[in-house]
Amino acid sequence: MSTMKTTRDVKGVGVSIPRPDGPEKVTGRVQYVADIQPKGLLHAKLLRSPHAHARIVSIDTSAAKALPGVRAVLTAKDIPHLKKKAPTRAHAVLAIDRAVFMGQPVAAVAADELSIAEEALDLIKVEYQVLAASIDPLKAMLPGAPPVADAGTEADTSEALAHSAVAIAKSEAPAKAVNISQQARLQRGDPAKGFAESDHVLEKTYRVPMVHQGYLEAHAVLAEWDRNGLLTLWASTQGSFNTRSEVADVLGISENRIRVIPVECGGGFGGKIRALCEPITAVLAQVTKRPVRYVMTRREELQAGMPAPQVIIKLKTGVKRDGTLMALDAETVIDSGAFSGAVLAVSAVFLGSMYKWPAFDIRGFEVLTHKPSVAAYRAPVAPQTIFAIESHMEQIARDLDLDSVEFRMRHLIQEGDPMVNGQPWQSNGAKQVLSRIAEHPHWKTRKQWVAAADKNGKLRGVGLALGGWLGGLQPTGATVRLNPDGSLAVLTGQVDIAGTNISLAQIAASAYGVDTDLVRITTGDTDVAPMTGLSAGSKTIYTVGAAVLQAAEDARRQTFEIAAAELEASVHDLELVDGNVTVRGMPDKGITLATIGKKGNLYMSKTPPVLGKANPAFTQQAPAFAAQLARLEVDADTGEVTIQDFVIVQDVGKAINPLGVEGQMQGGAVQSLGIALTEGLIFDDSGRLTNPSLLDYRKLTAADLPNLETIIVEVPSPAGPFGARGVGEPPIIPAPAAIANAIQNATGARLTELPMSPERIALALVNGKH
Amino acid sequence: MAKQILSCNVNGEPVDVLVQPYVTLLDALREDMGLTGPKEGCGTGDCGACTVHVDGKVVASCLMLAMQARGRKIRTIEGLAAADSTLHPLQDAFVRLGVPQCGFCIPGVLMAATALLEENPRPSEEEIRYGIAGNLCRCTGYTKMVTAISEAAETLATQRSAR
Amino acid sequence: MRRFDLVLPNTLEDCLKILAERGAQAKLVAGGTDLLPQMKNGVLKPAVVVDLSGIARVRQVGNGNGLRIGAAATARELERSPALRGAYLAIAESAAMVGSLQIRNLATVGGNLCNAAPSADMAPPLVALEAQAVIAGPQGERRVPMADFFTGVRQTVLAPNEMLIELVVPPPGAHSGGQYLRHTPRRELDIAVVGVASQLTMADGRCTKARIALASVAPTPVRAIAAERSLEGQAVTPEAIERAASLAIESARPIDDQRGSIEFRKHLVRVLTRRTLTTALLRANA
Repeated sequence: MSTMKTTRDVKGVGVSIPRPDGPEKVTGRVQYVADIQPKGLLHAKLLRSPHAHARIVSIDTSAAKALPGVRAVLTAKDIPHLKKKAPTRAHAVLAIDRAVFMGQPVAAVAADELSIAEEALDLIKVEYQVLAASIDPLKAMLPGAPPVADAGTEADTSEALAHSAVAIAKSEAPAKAVNISQQARLQRGDPAKGFAESDHVLEKTYRVPMVHQGYLEAHAVLAEWDRNGLLTLWASTQGSFNTRSEVADVLGISENRIRVIPVECGGGFGGKIRALCEPITAVLAQVTKRPVRYVMTRREELQAGMPAPQVIIKLKTGVKRDGTLMALDAETVIDSGAFSGAVLAVSAVFLGSMYKWPAFDIRGFEVLTHKPSVAAYRAPVAPQTIFAIESHMEQIARDLDLDSVEFRMRHLIQEGDPMVNGQPWQSNGAKQVLSRIAEHPHWKTRKQWVAAADKNGKLRGVGLALGGWLGGLQPTGATVRLNPDGSLAVLTGQVDIAGTNISLAQIAASAYGVDTDLVRITTGDTDVAPMTGLSAGSKTIYTVGAAVLQAAEDARRQTFEIAAAELEASVHDLELVDGNVTVRGMPDKGITLATIGKKGNLYMSKTPPVLGKANPAFTQQAPAFAAQLARLEVDADTGEVTIQDFVIVQDVGKAINPLGVEGQMQGGAVQSLGIALTEGLIFDDSGRLTNPSLLDYRKLTAADLPNLETIIVEVPSPAGPFGARGVGEPPIIPAPAAIANAIQNATGARLTELPMSPERIALALVNGKH
Repeated sequence: MAKQILSCNVNGEPVDVLVQPYVTLLDALREDMGLTGPKEGCGTGDCGACTVHVDGKVVASCLMLAMQARGRKIRTIEGLAAADSTLHPLQDAFVRLGVPQCGFCIPGVLMAATALLEENPRPSEEEIRYGIAGNLCRCTGYTKMVTAISEAAETLATQRSAR
Repeated sequence: MRRFDLVLPNTLEDCLKILAERGAQAKLVAGGTDLLPQMKNGVLKPAVVVDLSGIARVRQVGNGNGLRIGAAATARELERSPALRGAYLAIAESAAMVGSLQIRNLATVGGNLCNAAPSADMAPPLVALEAQAVIAGPQGERRVPMADFFTGVRQTVLAPNEMLIELVVPPPGAHSGGQYLRHTPRRELDIAVVGVASQLTMADGRCTKARIALASVAPTPVRAIAAERSLEGQAVTPEAIERAASLAIESARPIDDQRGSIEFRKHLVRVLTRRTLTTALLRANA
């Protein structure tokens, strides 16, 4: 792909332009699903299983139905086309005869008021027969554990593969244990020999609990059918086309009978990719013949959302005294909850091939348990994986008295080196990012800073870590239209959750040759937009940006052809300056964009309207790396951590909109810090969530954080628009390892279980775990 | 249960509206008065998305019963910009510095920041952070918010001394 | 929330009448910061809710004959009250820690105490300062010492037809100082894993009275009596403080839950007792 030359003075790619939806957001005018108030609206509530695993013996809805103001009460019996064995979470609209996690919907109510719907739930009588449950994944993966999936249910890994876009060899051996839903093994060389020849062998188990994506707007959907049997869904979603496909499949209707309108999304981070509440809300709307809205409560989100999986990584490395890497052995267990959906392959890639291990044996298992099933969370499985490998590498360097950056740099992959699956690493900025962070004064002066600790019981530490993301790919489409006044209209179906629309406008502007002010991006719903992929996988700019770029180039070509005919010149002699297409060197011989645009819309005109289009698919990924550094203080008595400084260095290929890129880096970093320090869904032995509120599921507040410093590195990608790489996911990856390394630097304690709460730190010090 | 008349002042205008006695102030603002700026993020006072001013003080409107607002002065995000729609310096700074991402926390944050600056016109970085510590944001990491609030404080100080 | 009847009394007398009639099915709401979350979670389903926001009598904070705090004074008002300085500072400190600013402008000291969670922040300083709860009921008013007010998790001495209207704190005497500290994983929007209030009254270099109250380590706030006794009559040296901090653990009966383990809570009792005693001494001698 050629890099479009921008005309001089065009305000386009590389400029920090504030998002155009800013004014609507700061005045409270932007509408989210819960803000839409149609006439005749009914409110939906779901009755959820209080048991992690139970047979549903009977359900009596008569009292609920009799409550005045209740318009519908449904159980699975009322939805006959439900698949008996739900292949995915979305298909389990209402539990048929078995509940497989605490919080699974068992009945649904639609009522005039939310309060009435709540009272109706109280009146539904369900008889359960409680069954033994599989909660701990290490126990669940053993033969004989209580089974989670219905026998014969396929594990659905389609979304998982879309995220990682890594082809890996599936294991040949059949799973003997009923709850192992995916497994894989990758090997290279002779690890046993490598370990035998090693001077330093380090073995640790790293644990990360399930965490919730934490979007502030809970799942919400409004459903209404028209009299032709067409369903409209106003949804808070990261992918309207994906939602449409899933709902069509679940309800057994044609996609042409569903219109999904993506409403402003109050955060998704991977948790709003898969359909969840849409099917049941659609059924309630169909039965009541009224618009029905369902908004999850925060408690429901935490108990029964689609969190990130619990990950347990047993990691063993063998290294020579001089730091030569010899062998790596790893076993990753991913707890996927009640339905399969974890991304297994990512873990293997970063455990075994971020550094050049000559021999490895990496085994991965996805295990089902009686807990809410998982979905993606911004770089799924990467923060957990990097927590393991980057803590481990730091510890090795420390044990061998090697400089930890030099040690990493020596073994860090570069373009062409093989990944664990044998595929070569694409061009990437891993080394540039690591060098850049090592140059930071906070790293260079770390020893002095630590020594200067105010000896008031506060210990100081500095730590860093490097992580990366391969970047998702998905086919997509875009159109670019020249308006009769010379402005441009760009249409995609891309849900703008990361501020990408302004960047897409900048790309279109630069590629076509006008100022960004003249470009408007419209996000179309599934009726009007070209097929579009998920706003996820850090691929919006990389793929939709490329589509917009190509469509803008196509539009420019068409424009020039029309101008060439009008001006009786060759297209090669034309240039576009300030809205005027002129013959180079003859500024008076020109035709304005507005003239061309008008001609394309005139009655009886022979000039076609300019409509640029592109519908590309992609094959080449563009890995993106980020490094983070923390300077922190630890209260040795209470274990409280104060982060004094935090730096994020990230390779973005080309910062289309630096303002937007910084926002992504900072936001992702704070999510990463939450995973490191305070967040975790804590289930008890019966599968009950013990912290189902934001009081006890702790997201970091502004008072817990310092200013986050961002440093953008640009190592252009070969195929990204203007060299851009994906931006959204890398920043959530490195912090847990960086913080663990800083805590070890401060206290001597090496923590391997997240979150690194004050309790874990304080007790590690009290009990002398060094 | 019969509805009750809630008489109060909202964004400078007297309001009489019929509300169910069992709804919160947040529900009444959003459903009965059409002011959907304040959001429900958790319903239990743990996130700040529902922050409004009651008699000049920031409160979690999801924890107030609507009828507890009787006779009181309420201010929501819809009442922050000037009558002629000129953005408040805080709103303007948030837009220019690229603060809002998904936007869901923004009305609550702006109401908290407004109250902070009204009480403490020259807050330090730490005071700003504590001033919005009751508002969770998942998208931004807070850094740009703090900078924007600081800038708005300067603007307001300049405006005051210009008078 | 499920539906309920809402009553809006304008006077204390009207309120007591309603409680006399319907107290068993009723809940009082002041700030609502504990009540509404419990109602939304279905833990409480009162048929009647009685709003206290119209009753002026229970809001004042004053420093007449000893300190009088209206039960409906908000945490924010206590945080900033000029009456809560000097020897009473720990009360203001505890109020300042509740939730967030949006919570503190609603939450009342009465609500915090009557909700009676083991983690109630405003309880330990009031226990340490030997406050009295003034309770109004059909027979008039009665007083209960703060230390006896709590009877179990979310249980108090209040009968369904009674309400807390005021707290009276006796002047602790010259050279008295105290502090309340708690440990939380976050700096705001959080709840005490352990909380400790220490109050020391000194004379001639010796401690004449020591009161140490602990939160979140028992079903109710508890006094660390053995620790208190170890300090009374003594010079409060660092060694004496350390000994008291260790003794305080004996009065704690914490449980393991998702907020903290027994081991960590006992460890925090020692740390926070040590720290609050150290500061209490400085403040008493100031």
